Amino acid sequence: MGIAKKFRQIFSTVPMLGWFLGILTAVLIEYYWGYDYISYYLGLPKIPVLFGALIMLKEPVMIPGALAYDLIVYVIPVLLVAKISSVFTNPGAALLEKLPLWLSAVIHLVCFYAILHLWAGINDYRVLVVKLTLVSIILTVSVNVINGYQGEFSCSHPGFMALGAYVSSILTLMLFTNDKIFGAALLPPGLGPFLFPLVLLAGGAAAAIGSLAVAIPSFRTRGDYLAIISLAFMFIVKSAIENLNIIGGARGMGGQPDLAPLPVIFFWTLLCIWVIHNFVTSILGKALNTVRDDEAAAESMTVKTRKTKMTAFMFGAFWAGIAGGLFAHVLTYINPGMFSINRLAEILAMVYFGGLNSIVGSIVGAVSINVLGEALRPLELFKWIIIPLILIFVMIFRPYGLISFTEINAKKLLEAKHKRQQGVSP
Amino acid sequence: MEPLIEYFYYILQNIINALQRGSFYAVISIGYSMVYGVLMLFNFAHGDIFMVGTYIGFGIATVFLAVLTGLVPPPVIFLATVVVTMFLASWIGVFVEVAGYRPLRQAPRASAAITGLMIGIIFETTILIMLGAKRLSFPPLMEKVNYHIGGIYITNVKAMIIIISLLLMLGLHAFIQKTKWGMAMRAMSYDFLAVPLMGVSINIIAPLTFAVGAGLASVAGILYGQAYPILDPYMGVLLGWKAFVAAILGGRGSIKGAALAGYLLGFIEIFVATVFPSTLRDFIAYSIILIILTFRPRGFFGMEHSTKLRL
Amino acid sequence: MTALLHVENMTHFFGGLRAVHNYNLNLAPRQIFGLIGPNGAGKTTIFNLITGVYTPTEGEILLENKNIKGLETNQIAAMGLGRTFQNLALWRHMNVVDHIRMAHYSQLDYGLFGAFFNSRACREQENQVRENADHLMELFDIEKYADDLVTSLPYGAQRRVEMARAMATNPKVLFLDEPTAGMTPDELVKMIRIIRQVHQDFNVAIFLIEHRMKFVMELCESIQTLVFGEVIAEGPPEEIQNNPRVIEAYLGKEDMT
Repeated sequence: MGIAKKFRQIFSTVPMLGWFLGILTAVLIEYYWGYDYISYYLGLPKIPVLFGALIMLKEPVMIPGALAYDLIVYVIPVLLVAKISSVFTNPGAALLEKLPLWLSAVIHLVCFYAILHLWAGINDYRVLVVKLTLVSIILTVSVNVINGYQGEFSCSHPGFMALGAYVSSILTLMLFTNDKIFGAALLPPGLGPFLFPLVLLAGGAAAAIGSLAVAIPSFRTRGDYLAIISLAFMFIVKSAIENLNIIGGARGMGGQPDLAPLPVIFFWTLLCIWVIHNFVTSILGKALNTVRDDEAAAESMTVKTRKTKMTAFMFGAFWAGIAGGLFAHVLTYINPGMFSINRLAEILAMVYFGGLNSIVGSIVGAVSINVLGEALRPLELFKWIIIPLILIFVMIFRPYGLISFTEINAKKLLEAKHKRQQGVSP
Repeated sequence: MEPLIEYFYYILQNIINALQRGSFYAVISIGYSMVYGVLMLFNFAHGDIFMVGTYIGFGIATVFLAVLTGLVPPPVIFLATVVVTMFLASWIGVFVEVAGYRPLRQAPRASAAITGLMIGIIFETTILIMLGAKRLSFPPLMEKVNYHIGGIYITNVKAMIIIISLLLMLGLHAFIQKTKWGMAMRAMSYDFLAVPLMGVSINIIAPLTFAVGAGLASVAGILYGQAYPILDPYMGVLLGWKAFVAAILGGRGSIKGAALAGYLLGFIEIFVATVFPSTLRDFIAYSIILIILTFRPRGFFGMEHSTKLRL
Repeated sequence: MTALLHVENMTHFFGGLRAVHNYNLNLAPRQIFGLIGPNGAGKTTIFNLITGVYTPTEGEILLENKNIKGLETNQIAAMGLGRTFQNLALWRHMNVVDHIRMAHYSQLDYGLFGAFFNSRACREQENQVRENADHLMELFDIEKYADDLVTSLPYGAQRRVEMARAMATNPKVLFLDEPTAGMTPDELVKMIRIIRQVHQDFNVAIFLIEHRMKFVMELCESIQTLVFGEVIAEGPPEEIQNNPRVIEAYLGKEDMT
């Protein structure tokens, strides 16, 4: 405990910009010397993709090498540069503080994206992992709207996701590609990237409309019965798609144009987080919490509970549909089996691991479960013992998840830290 | 006249099939319902407890068939398999309760649901690791005999499944109505809080309930193995979720409701398949459930939802 | 003088059970009105009927001459019926300031998309609400708890949060369901002061259910006594205090317990 506290004290003076600079240094080191020098001298076959986790688990002999790589490339440069640079990053952050908050946030995000792009660009596998993680973030945040903020145990998200994935895939296949099923492209494929947002919105809208099947029963019932209604909805969507041979049935549907490169997905993720954050911190969004905690009191305080429930479901489903659309265009192949119980377990794991009623929690949950899932891949089946065990422990010790009931405070996150040099806020 | 009679037999044949299918759902969904009555939450690991129970039954049956064949008549082997499997499987139930649910007594219900799901995944994976991906075949515990009554065919296995399931449910009914433990369970489903005050510890009743549910599920597993011998670590997911749906449909906490809804689900599935292509089975079954619950949100025998049951 | 809240011949059945029979009420603006009666007399039921939690089987309910019978609770609340609950109905995962903010729900009109994209209207209205909430919290002496979860507050403060929340809906009539239940004498005195102040500052009529005679006698201008769903006496406090039927009903109750 003592070391952790000391550590926090030392680095409490580093602003977000400082961390960015540190990470940028690490990424640049990896980019320029990672393969040619560092991996080579440490005896690693190639650049460790996910901090060496895969290598370590596959070949235990490599553990010291991989750890050394992490230390040399990541830990030391990040900490050193972050700390030293705080001399000038703090004034920089103070300068940015003078700008409007949104502008400062945009500048930070652009920096962040640049670093992420550079890091992921080192190989294709990393790009894929980052893309899927971002999609998971959208998905998890959207589930949190219903399961966390609104407090229902909804199991229908794979269904919403499937609706979004299929509707957007059908549209892109119809409009921008020469497809066996839908014939020649109706529009020049060059328009694809520009119309893709509309396609995604259509997918989201389809999911939102589909969610009415769950939202309307939620007026009269909640809890377990609603859980079953939502579960039934999920199975209905899945088996409906399986029976629709025109869109591939159980075999699935492939060949979607690659319209979802990393920047596009990053943009949608940010948009999703921003919109959902705005919503849940507004009074209209807090109405979700009142419905969860005491519906009768909510009604008496003029809250339109039916409208609120409907909003929560449609809004949550909409973003799940967007996530589905992106998912389909990342993998360029979907089948109904992808949107079933297994996906549900994964989604619930991410939400409840990260924390209810918290966007930060959802981001943490989505990133942890995704990265953990990829990192533990070499363990094959044992992965499916380790992840559930971790989740059980989280549930026992933090029943609402790791970071629950906490909202993003952009101002605090981005502020310069030199003012607080004397003490560490707990 | 002739087609009409044939049609009649056809219906009758399907009723028997539906009874067999419904028996599995009924016996498994009772396990969900019992746990609900006591702990006010669903044991999402129950489907996988059923699966593990089936594998235990498979192991016991294989051993007993190898050792005892010739020494004792087949019905005795069958009975011994059932009894030993029930005993062993009930410890799985106890384990799930003690390891997974007890630490979460005070936690939100959703956390317990997640824990249950995760325990289920651990069970599936453990079985996969231990036995590999090869599909095992449940050994037949009795010789299959076909009877031809009028226009319908019935095997002794089918008859046995239906009868044993009914006997199990009657036995459970007696247990709940007559014994001290059963009464405590009933009391707990009426009033969750009062029973501990009366000197019955929830830490005894809860594992007992899990044990009984797991025991029943394991017998359902043996019977299932006689009807559909191919074992699969994911069989619990398929049957379990449907039985769970039946438990809700019946009205949460209602054992009678769960059993009836289990049979209803069996009927829906079998009769849907007679009219529509079998690929539409899930679609129609779940649509019917969605409609029923939309218009009758409490299930058949359920209580009014209470404000206690939140997040 | 027209009544602010007018209830005429309201009768309600739960299944076959008659819970309220021929209930009449004329509440004048700025009046403090008490409803007393033994346990199970149907006092809270009357609250729930007027506020729209249940729809009465028979009868008329008029608020400022507008019929509110059959409307949804949130509509009735938005028209000017604020209330508190007998057993506190606070939102347990929410902090105090959010409670007060929430109760402004019906006064917002920036719409969902305003909320999604944090529109100018949204920001302005939310700031306005926040100011109003700060003011209310100060008035009810809960500003020091603003960022605390309600469940962590002392009991008296929770009651005050509930009242502040009810006042945030901008009511014309405030319904108080046993506002002093479970309070210590100190808190009770504070509550009387607060109710008086609310009455003065907000220009509301107050309709309260209460068990403690002393409290009712001190605050109310007029009192109804309810027994088995029927009003057996109505009038100013002194009259009620000496009414033989009221005494009988109350003594009878005390005999039983």
